[in-house]
Amino acid sequence: MTWFRLPTVVILAVLVLLPIGLVVYQSFLDEPFFSAVARFSLSSYEFILGEPDFARAFVTTLALAAGMTAIAVPFGGVLAFLVVRTDLPGKSLIEPALLVPIVLSPIVIAFGYVVAIGPVGFASLALKKLIGFVPWNLYSFASLVIIAGLTHVPHVYLFSSASLRKLNLELEEQARVMGAPPWRVALTVSLPLAWPALVYSGVLIFFLGFELFGLPLIIGDPANVLVLTTYLFKLTNILGTPSYQLMAVVVVAIALVTLPLVYLQRYLLRMAERYVTMGGRGVQSRPLRLGPWRWAALAAIVLWLLVAIGLPLSGVLLRAFVSRWGEGINPFETLTLQNFVDLAEHPSLIDGIINTFLLATVGAAAAVAVYASIALATHRWKSRFVAMVDYLVLLPRSLPGLVAGLAFLWVFLFVPYLGVLRSSLVGLWLAYSVVWLAFGLRIISATLSQIAPELEQAARVTGASPGRALRDVTLPLIRFGLVGCWLLCFMIFVREYSTGVYLQGPGTEVLGPLIVSLFGGGSLELVAALSVVNVGLVAAGLALALRIGVRI
Amino acid sequence: MKRAALGLAILLAPTVAAPAQGLPPGYPVDYQAIIAGAEQEGSVGVYSTTDSASADALLKDFRALYPKVQVKYYDLNSTEVYNRYLSETAANAETADVLWSGSMDLQLKLVADGHAATYRSPESAKMPKWAVYEDRAWGTTFEPLVIAYNKRLLPADAVPNSHADLLRLLKDKPQLFAGGKLTTYDPEKSGFAFMLMTQDEKYFAKFWELAAAFGHGTGRFYPSSGTMIERITSGEHLLGFNVIGSYVVLRQRKDPDLGLVYPADYVLVMSRLAFITKNARRPNAGKLFLDYLLSARAQKIMANQATLFSLREDVEGPHSAAALTKELGDRLKPIPADMGLLAALAPAKRLAMLRKWQETARAQ
Repeated sequence: MTWFRLPTVVILAVLVLLPIGLVVYQSFLDEPFFSAVARFSLSSYEFILGEPDFARAFVTTLALAAGMTAIAVPFGGVLAFLVVRTDLPGKSLIEPALLVPIVLSPIVIAFGYVVAIGPVGFASLALKKLIGFVPWNLYSFASLVIIAGLTHVPHVYLFSSASLRKLNLELEEQARVMGAPPWRVALTVSLPLAWPALVYSGVLIFFLGFELFGLPLIIGDPANVLVLTTYLFKLTNILGTPSYQLMAVVVVAIALVTLPLVYLQRYLLRMAERYVTMGGRGVQSRPLRLGPWRWAALAAIVLWLLVAIGLPLSGVLLRAFVSRWGEGINPFETLTLQNFVDLAEHPSLIDGIINTFLLATVGAAAAVAVYASIALATHRWKSRFVAMVDYLVLLPRSLPGLVAGLAFLWVFLFVPYLGVLRSSLVGLWLAYSVVWLAFGLRIISATLSQIAPELEQAARVTGASPGRALRDVTLPLIRFGLVGCWLLCFMIFVREYSTGVYLQGPGTEVLGPLIVSLFGGGSLELVAALSVVNVGLVAAGLALALRIGVRI
Repeated sequence: MKRAALGLAILLAPTVAAPAQGLPPGYPVDYQAIIAGAEQEGSVGVYSTTDSASADALLKDFRALYPKVQVKYYDLNSTEVYNRYLSETAANAETADVLWSGSMDLQLKLVADGHAATYRSPESAKMPKWAVYEDRAWGTTFEPLVIAYNKRLLPADAVPNSHADLLRLLKDKPQLFAGGKLTTYDPEKSGFAFMLMTQDEKYFAKFWELAAAFGHGTGRFYPSSGTMIERITSGEHLLGFNVIGSYVVLRQRKDPDLGLVYPADYVLVMSRLAFITKNARRPNAGKLFLDYLLSARAQKIMANQATLFSLREDVEGPHSAAALTKELGDRLKPIPADMGLLAALAPAKRLAMLRKWQETARAQ
C-alpha cells in the first residue's frame, strides 16, 4: 500500500505547495518575485500590520465567518436529516431546488438580492406601497451574515446528506420504537452519527467566510463593512500598480488561520472515532415518520427556500426578462426577450457553454477520481503524513479569488514543463481541482469515516490484498460520498470564476469568468440572462440525472 | 526556419499580396510588407479592457478586411491586463501583441518601463498630439466623463449643469441626495477612478469640498461605470458623477429615462491607449491591428455603431470628437497621454490622497 500512499501524498503536497509557496515567497520580497530588483524584505508585513484597515477587516471577517457558520451548519444538518431520513413531503422538489445557490456566482446572488430587496427592489417597493416604508436594509453587516449563512446551507446539506444516507437505519428505528419523538432521534442518534460531516463542513464554511468576495462587495461595502477580500481588492490599487507583496501578506494571514482550524477539526473528529456505524448488516427500512411535524418542517424549509433561493433567483429572473426596472417602473410593461437575443450574439458564448459543460461533467468526474485516490491513500493509515495531509488540504482555500488565478498563472509560467497547461482546459481543470480540494475530498472523507474496520478486515482475512479490499469493499460503500462529491464539483466548476480569469483564452473561455467580466463591464442584463441560462442548463442536467436514476 | 520563411514572404509580398489586398488609402507602398508579414503570422493577440460586445463590430470589420489575420481577443479588466502581461513577459512566455486599455496611467507605466515597441504608424499624423506618446502609445477613443441622472425621479430643476452647480446643489439641498442617492467612481477600488480624481483636483478648485459633500452616507461608490448606470436607472441612485459617457450613450438606446449632462465648466475626456508590446511574437500583426484601430474606417465604426466615441478629427458621427468639439469647444479637457500621469502613481502621494478621500467622501 505504501507504493500508492506515499506518491499520492507527495503529488498532493507539490500541487498545493507550489501556488501557496510562491505567494509566501512573494510576501517576503519588496518587488514582484520575477523582477530582477526584488530583494528580501519585511516591509510588506510592516505596511500591512501597520494598517488599521487590515486589523478592522480581519476582525470583521472573523465575525462574518463565525456568524455564517453558526447559521449554515445547524440548518444544513437539520435539512439533510429531514430530507434523507424522514417522510417529509415534497422532497423530490426540494432537493434539486436547494442546489441553486451553489450554481450561481455569489456576485449574481448578491445582485439578485439587490433587485429583489435592495432600496428599490421589487419586493421593497411593493411593501413600501403597502405599509409606507421598507422595514429592512439590505446594506448592513447583519444582512451580510444572514445571507451568507443561508446561501451556504446547501453546502452543509450535501455533506450531511451523503453521510446520513449510508447510516444504519436500525439505530433510529430502535429509538423510535422506544418512544423517542423525532427531534430526539435526530439529536441523540442521527447527530452524533453525522458528526464527521458536520465538523468537516463547519470548518470549510468557516474558512469559506474568509474567501467570500461578491457578497461583501455588493452588500457590505455600501455600509462601510470591510472584509479581508474587499481590503485585498483595494490593495491592488492602493500603490498605483498591483502590489503583489502586500496581497501576499494578506494571503499568509489567511493561511495562518488554517492552523488552529485544522487543529480544532482533528480534535473534534477524534471524539468521533467512537461512532463507527456502517457495520456488517444493512437493513433497508422505512423513513422516520414525523407525524404532524412534517408540515411544520415543510413550512420552515419553504420559508428558507423563499429567502435563500426565491429572493435572489426572482431578482435575477426579473432582470433577465425586463429592459428596465426599479422605482417608478411597472416591470410588466418592460418585459422583453432582447437580453437573450443580445446574449446569443456574444462572441464567447458557445465556446463558453461547451467548455463549461466539459469541465463540469468530465472534469468533475476526474476531480472525484483524484479526491477519492487521496482519501483512500490516507484511509486507515497510521502515519504522521495523515496529519500533514489534513493541514495541506485546507491551504489552497486560503487563496482568495483575486489571488488564486494569478498564483496559478505564475505556477504555469514559472515552473518548468507546466507551460503547456497554460490556456488549456487541462490547466483550468487542475487549478479548479486544487482550489476546491478541501470540499471535494472532505465529502468523501466524511463517508469513509463511517465504515467499520471489520468489513475491510473480513476481506483481508479471506485473502484479498489491501488494494483489492479498498476496491471491492470500501469504494462501493462510499458511493454516496462519491456521487455527492461529483455533484458538488459539477456545480462549483460551473460557477467558478476567479481561477479562470488568468488561465482562459480564446477558445478556452468558460462561463464563470465571462459572467464576472460582463458584470465588470456593467452589462447586468446580460449577466442575468446568462445566469438564467446557466441555472436552466444545470436544472435540465439534474432532471436528466434524476430520471436515469442518479440519487443526489 | 520560420524567420527565413517570413523574410521570403516579405520579399514576395508586393507581387503576391497586392492584387488581393489593397493598401489602406494614403499608406506608403512598403506597408504591403507589414500586411504580408501579418498574414504570415496568422493572428494577433490583444489584451483589452473594451468588453467583447462593444469591440465586436470592430473585430468583425477587421476580419472582413484581413481575413487571414485572426484576432485573439482577451476581454479583461485593467488590473488583469497589467498582471497577465507583466507575468507572461517576465517568464518569457507568449503574451499579447497589443495592449489596449482605458487605464491610461497603467498603460503609460508599462510604456515608461520599456514594454512598448517603437513604431511610426502611418496614422499618427491624423491623431491629436495630446493622444500620442512618442511613437509608442496611441489614444484611440475620445470619451467624455459626464453626469448621468435618472430623468424619471430627479426633478428637472434639480439637475446640475456643472461641477460647481453640483456642489451648490449638494450644499443647498442636502436632503435631495441623503441616504446614498448619489454615486461616483470609487478611487479606492479603481485606479482609473483615482486618475480621474487627480484630474478633477486640477480643474476644479473646490473638488475636496465636493468630496466632503459626498460624505455622511450621501455617496455610494462603485468600481465600474456599468454598475453606476444600472443603479441610476433603477432609481437606487438619482445621479452619478464622472460616469464614462460612452456607456451612458449605449444605455440611453435602451432606456429613455437615463439623462446625460456635459458639465458646463469642464468635461474630462479619457482615451483608451493602445501600444505594441516590446517582445510581440507577431509584431506585424500587432502593427496592423494598431493601425486599424486608428484608421478612419475603424473610427467611423466607433463614432456610429460602437459608441466608443472616435478620436480622429476627420471622422464625423454622432459619437465623435468632432461632434463633441463642435458642441463643447475648449470646455473639453482631454487627459493627455504623457508621463505627467505617472506622478499620481507615486505611493506616498497616493496614500495621502486616498486618506483624504476616506476622511471626506467616506466620512460617517
